[in-house]
Amino acid sequence: MRRVQSSDACGRVWVFGDYRNYFKNRVTLQLIARAKDLAGKLDTGVTVLLLGERVHQWAMEYVAHGADTVVVVDLPALKDYRAETYSGIMSQLVELYRPEIILGGATRFGRELFPRLAKRLDTGLSSDCVDLEIDPSDRGLVQITPAFGGELLAEIVCPNRRPQMATVHPGTFKELPHDASAVGCILYPELEIIPDERVEKIRSRPERDRETRLEDAPLVIVGGRGMGSKDQFETLFELADLLGAEVGATLPAIQAGWAAPDRLIGQTGRIVKPKLLISIGTSGALQYTAGIRGAETIIAINRDPKASIFRMADLGIVGDGRTIVGLLLEELRKRF
Amino acid sequence: MNIVVCIKQVPESPKLKMDRDRMTVIREGADSVINPLDCVALVAGVELRNQLGGEITVLSMGPPQTAGALREALAYGADRAILLSDPVFAGADTLATSHVLAAAISRLDVFPDLVLCGTHTIDSDTAHVGPQVAEELDLPQVCAVNEIFPEEDGLVVKRVEDGVLETLRVRLPALLTVSKELCAPGSLSLGGLSRAFSFGEVTCWDHRDLGLEPGEVGFEGSATWVVKLSSPPPRSKGEIVQGTSAVLCETLIRKLESLGILDEESAE
Ligand SMILES: Cc1cc2nc3c(=O)[nH]c(=O)nc-3n(C[C@H](O)[C@H](O)[C@H](O)COP(=O)(O)OP(=O)(O)OC[C@H]3O[C@@H](n4cnc5c(N)ncnc54)[C@H](O)[C@@H]3O)c2cc1C
Ligand SMILES: Nc1ncnc2c1ncn2[C@@H]1O[C@H](COP(=O)(O)O)[C@@H](O)[C@H]1O
Repeated sequence: MRRVQSSDACGRVWVFGDYRNYFKNRVTLQLIARAKDLAGKLDTGVTVLLLGERVHQWAMEYVAHGADTVVVVDLPALKDYRAETYSGIMSQLVELYRPEIILGGATRFGRELFPRLAKRLDTGLSSDCVDLEIDPSDRGLVQITPAFGGELLAEIVCPNRRPQMATVHPGTFKELPHDASAVGCILYPELEIIPDERVEKIRSRPERDRETRLEDAPLVIVGGRGMGSKDQFETLFELADLLGAEVGATLPAIQAGWAAPDRLIGQTGRIVKPKLLISIGTSGALQYTAGIRGAETIIAINRDPKASIFRMADLGIVGDGRTIVGLLLEELRKRF
Repeated sequence: MNIVVCIKQVPESPKLKMDRDRMTVIREGADSVINPLDCVALVAGVELRNQLGGEITVLSMGPPQTAGALREALAYGADRAILLSDPVFAGADTLATSHVLAAAISRLDVFPDLVLCGTHTIDSDTAHVGPQVAEELDLPQVCAVNEIFPEEDGLVVKRVEDGVLETLRVRLPALLTVSKELCAPGSLSLGGLSRAFSFGEVTCWDHRDLGLEPGEVGFEGSATWVVKLSSPPPRSKGEIVQGTSAVLCETLIRKLESLGILDEESAE
């Protein structure tokens, strides 16, 4: 066991290693990639915190994806994700190594752990960021998040307290390729751990696997309120079948019951990064577009030429979405 | 069981006005409602109280007109309402908000067995305040709970976390945040309506009542500042086309072809 007291042993940009659902949820890897950019600007390295029971396998994964250091705390008491115990350990690690920045995925657990940890450290936190930058003037972290009903993007800073903390939605950044030859340092700090047993697990079982794989889909079709009815919305599923696409929906379409809630795209839903996204009958509210900014190409269909979705579309089609989808379906059925 | 429910008054419409100097939201004048998930917390609280006895105290930090939301909560069956209002509370981030709420809870005559919050609010949507109040009061927390069953000396709760259905036992006192699946806010009954209007007193506490310094609350006590607000940048100078549906469909097909979407294999 290596005991490291000097705070320089460890990069100052930290990522919380959230390994649950590793194969579906790559947010930790995505954050390592972004943390590397940020760390480069701060002349420091990236450290991933890995807490749990028998979690060494993930340490190698994190190094292969760009982590300079992985701090591992491996104990049976950490088997289950628990905000109370985890925030206790993380605050001790912060004390020990003094990071500048701590990033985590805006997963359910990330959103439960980070506020508690920020409070314990008496520092600021911003949630669900869509971008992170370093301000060259003071080397502070600029946290960009949709704000105030989604009309605007807010830049949030935490000037007087450290560490600076932020959570980021899965899918916001791109992970680095797996590099099996990467070298990193793995630390096993000695900590005094007092597990908090006030919350005790009685049972847990996986939820029925979600059928939709929106985050990984290369082609996504999103329908909004402008689809007008459940029947019209159904035509998008037909189109998706023909094109091999996944279907997403805006909040009003979900609320109307046209699509299942797990298809929600946007700030409160899923963030997608397809090669092509076709957005039909959506106005382009920021809470929605926060979920599609990473698409390589966007085609928008809206009958209102002033709709703000056109500001981010590579091809804007001003017309009736229902009719155009109908015609397209006819044409495609002829072809396939 | 003595229960505290934290409620926040939120604007009914998601479009808010901004105070551009302080980069905070102007709440005055907007039509306001109780944050929907806080109504769910209130319903859950009322059910537990009716089952087990005890009292419900509702707390809200906000400008003076927040008293309206608290009176509404009394009408829904809360026993006591406390408004945490003071000009120095304005402009608070979640760290400062949770500090005020935690100070108020620890100043109640009887420390509650259970604190209930919504998971998140529709206006700020941070989902920070619940866990932060729990941390400051050193309470265990369970977030996004969708079922609650009282037990001998605790609660059994259920929730879905990142694809896992969990059943947990929580020792009291504890803090729970509730998700919309717990119950429909529509199930609120106005049983307490007449009581609210006859005895519907809302106590108001300011920073002195809470024993807090102005520097630790509101804008001053906040760790995060909004330094800039901007419209999201246009992504690209795209091409905009108009015409008949048939022509537009043609354009769309040509675009799909140029992206290789209509190649034979990609249709598989
Ligand atoms: C805290 C918060 C979080 C939110 N999170 C999300 C989120 O994650 N995801 C999300 O989607 N929303 C979210 N919203 C809601 C968001 O603000 C918008 O209300 C929503 O995205 C609008 O959906 P829409 O574009 O489908 O509907 P509308 O804004 O009503 O737009 C419909 C569009 O369809 C066009 N149209 C109508 N008929 C036709 C036709 N026949 N052919 C072509 N075009 C037509 C109209 O011109 C209009 O532009 C959130 C809101 C809040 C307050
Ligand atoms: N000003 C406030 N007064 C009382 N409770 C609040 C306040 N702000 C937030 N809360 C509680 O904290 C929960 C989460 O809020 P938020 O962190 O803003 O998403 C809400 O659902 C409320 O229960």
